[in-house]
Amino acid sequence: MISDTAACCSFLNIFALTNTATQMSLFKRTTRELTVRIDEFFDTIEIGILIFKEGIKAYVNDDGDAFRNHLAKIDDLEGKADRLQRAIENDMIVHSILPQQRSEMVKLLWQLDEIIDTAKKSLNEFYVELPHIPASLAHDFISLAEVSGNAAEELMPAARAFFREPHLVREKLIRVYFFERETDKSAFQMKKKVFHEMNDLSLAEKAHIRYITHHIENISDSAQAAADLLASMAIRQML
Amino acid sequence: MIFLFLTSGLFLGWTLGANDAANVFGSAVGSRMVSFTRAAVIASIFVILGAVLQGAGASETLGRLGSVNAMGGAFTVALAAALTVYFMTRAGLPVSTTQAIVGAIIGWNFFTNNAVDTRALTQIVTTWITGPVLGALFAYALYHLVKITRRRIRTHLLKYESMLRFGLLIAGAFGAYSLGANNIANVMGVFVPSIPLVTTDFGIFTLTGPQQLFFLGAIAIAAGVLTYSRKVMETVGANLLELSSETAFVVVLSQALVLFIFSSSALSGLLVKAGLPPIPLVPVSSTQVVVGSVLGIGLYKGVRNINIKVLGSIASGWITTPVAAGVLAFLLLFFVKNLFGIDVGHSFNPPASTGEGISTATIIRYSIPALLAITAAYLIYLVLSEKKKTERLNKEYYK
Repeated sequence: MISDTAACCSFLNIFALTNTATQMSLFKRTTRELTVRIDEFFDTIEIGILIFKEGIKAYVNDDGDAFRNHLAKIDDLEGKADRLQRAIENDMIVHSILPQQRSEMVKLLWQLDEIIDTAKKSLNEFYVELPHIPASLAHDFISLAEVSGNAAEELMPAARAFFREPHLVREKLIRVYFFERETDKSAFQMKKKVFHEMNDLSLAEKAHIRYITHHIENISDSAQAAADLLASMAIRQML
Repeated sequence: MIFLFLTSGLFLGWTLGANDAANVFGSAVGSRMVSFTRAAVIASIFVILGAVLQGAGASETLGRLGSVNAMGGAFTVALAAALTVYFMTRAGLPVSTTQAIVGAIIGWNFFTNNAVDTRALTQIVTTWITGPVLGALFAYALYHLVKITRRRIRTHLLKYESMLRFGLLIAGAFGAYSLGANNIANVMGVFVPSIPLVTTDFGIFTLTGPQQLFFLGAIAIAAGVLTYSRKVMETVGANLLELSSETAFVVVLSQALVLFIFSSSALSGLLVKAGLPPIPLVPVSSTQVVVGSVLGIGLYKGVRNINIKVLGSIASGWITTPVAAGVLAFLLLFFVKNLFGIDVGHSFNPPASTGEGISTATIIRYSIPALLAITAAYLIYLVLSEKKKTERLNKEYYK
């Protein structure tokens, strides 16, 4: 009878021959590619948010060329984010990666993509509808876009941390919730100012500004929804 | 004739493969971390290796409990165990092949007026309790280790997951090896004393008589894995044992360690050399070790409400399964002996070989390489078809 030690060694050797080389290289390659894609997706959204903020600034400051430039850029970025989102989802399904968190991951990717979608839609609405922004509201508009964009921007470090240090996600998300509340406050103050103090504007202009304000607010709302999802995913990771 | 007598053991092996492979790869396949084909191929290969290379220890202990000295008796004992497992599973009662075979052997002892070796019985029953307890302890310690490592290495979730996936494959292979080594005694142990096979040289390897039987039993287990375990793995993995990849890895590894410990004569020998008592080499229920391991993780996570029902069902299985199998074996032996006039065993030492072993050895000599070739061809076919499927999926998406 062959001894247990020899048996164990032969079993390890055979396993090494049959699996190690192929499995590990396959896992490594797919994992590396997917990691790069996910990082690229986050980068795209982050840049998209910055472009959005710059686009609003350009519109309010009446810089048409810069605005159109930003609009074209965000359009490209949104398309790229969509492509990356689909490729990531496909890789996760085909290679059965993170099978247990897949539905949540897909939802998170969709929620993050929603941010850049909303940003693109907002800039498009400025381009199509050409809302009249009174000079007295210029600063309010820029700061509203800034805080709403900040909420989304602060989400990205948390999303990146989820993959490496899930225990840090919660503290990073605090800033998202803070900027989301600030956005609500700013939007509320601005709408109040428009409807209570700016009597020189027609009701149609007021309604239009309210509508545009609402769209800018949507970015931080999307960020908050993604943050809620991310928080629950991080908790589950740590259990 | 010999193959007819072996059918009950082979059937038992088939049911063991169909059911118990889920304990090794169920959570990984159920959670889609590992594809069924990959799991089945690995499980089949390593179950065979474990059974042939390390199956003797646990089998010897079963032999001490009751050396079934006639092929008809061995057939009936294995049949009684298989039927007990089948009917109890259908009735939704907790059942283990290990406990069924022990009960059936005791039934044979009673029928043939052979005394039950109480020392061997105590050893076996003690391991039924220590198996799950050890599983819980290993799982607790391993889970703690995994959690610490996860925090320390700070690796990307995807990389960590791919490491876990690879770990699951290794642990699964180890689990399958240990399952083969430990549980082959349930399948073929009773046939060892009554089928005198001679050591045969197959050219590139040599197998002793018991090893040839273990090989046949292991092929039956592998057939169970390949033909029927998919459904069990998918349902058990996704429903009963809904575990994360981390917990699945820990459960499989701790189960493999427990089964390995109770079947490793080398480890037992090392303890004896160190002046410690030897490890009893006994077949243990892989299902119950898995339940123990899950409880161990539950304790680590601070789960306060441990389901007493689960523990109660395990404990009740320790009594109901052997009793049911023993009674059934006794009844079947009575019918086989009196109705068909088949020799089911005696209350004295095994009779000398009648020469049948030589002709059997010839059959085995040719059937083992043939079975090996068929199994290898089937495994290659499975791997290639899986590869083709993945390529087609990729092509369809990127077209």
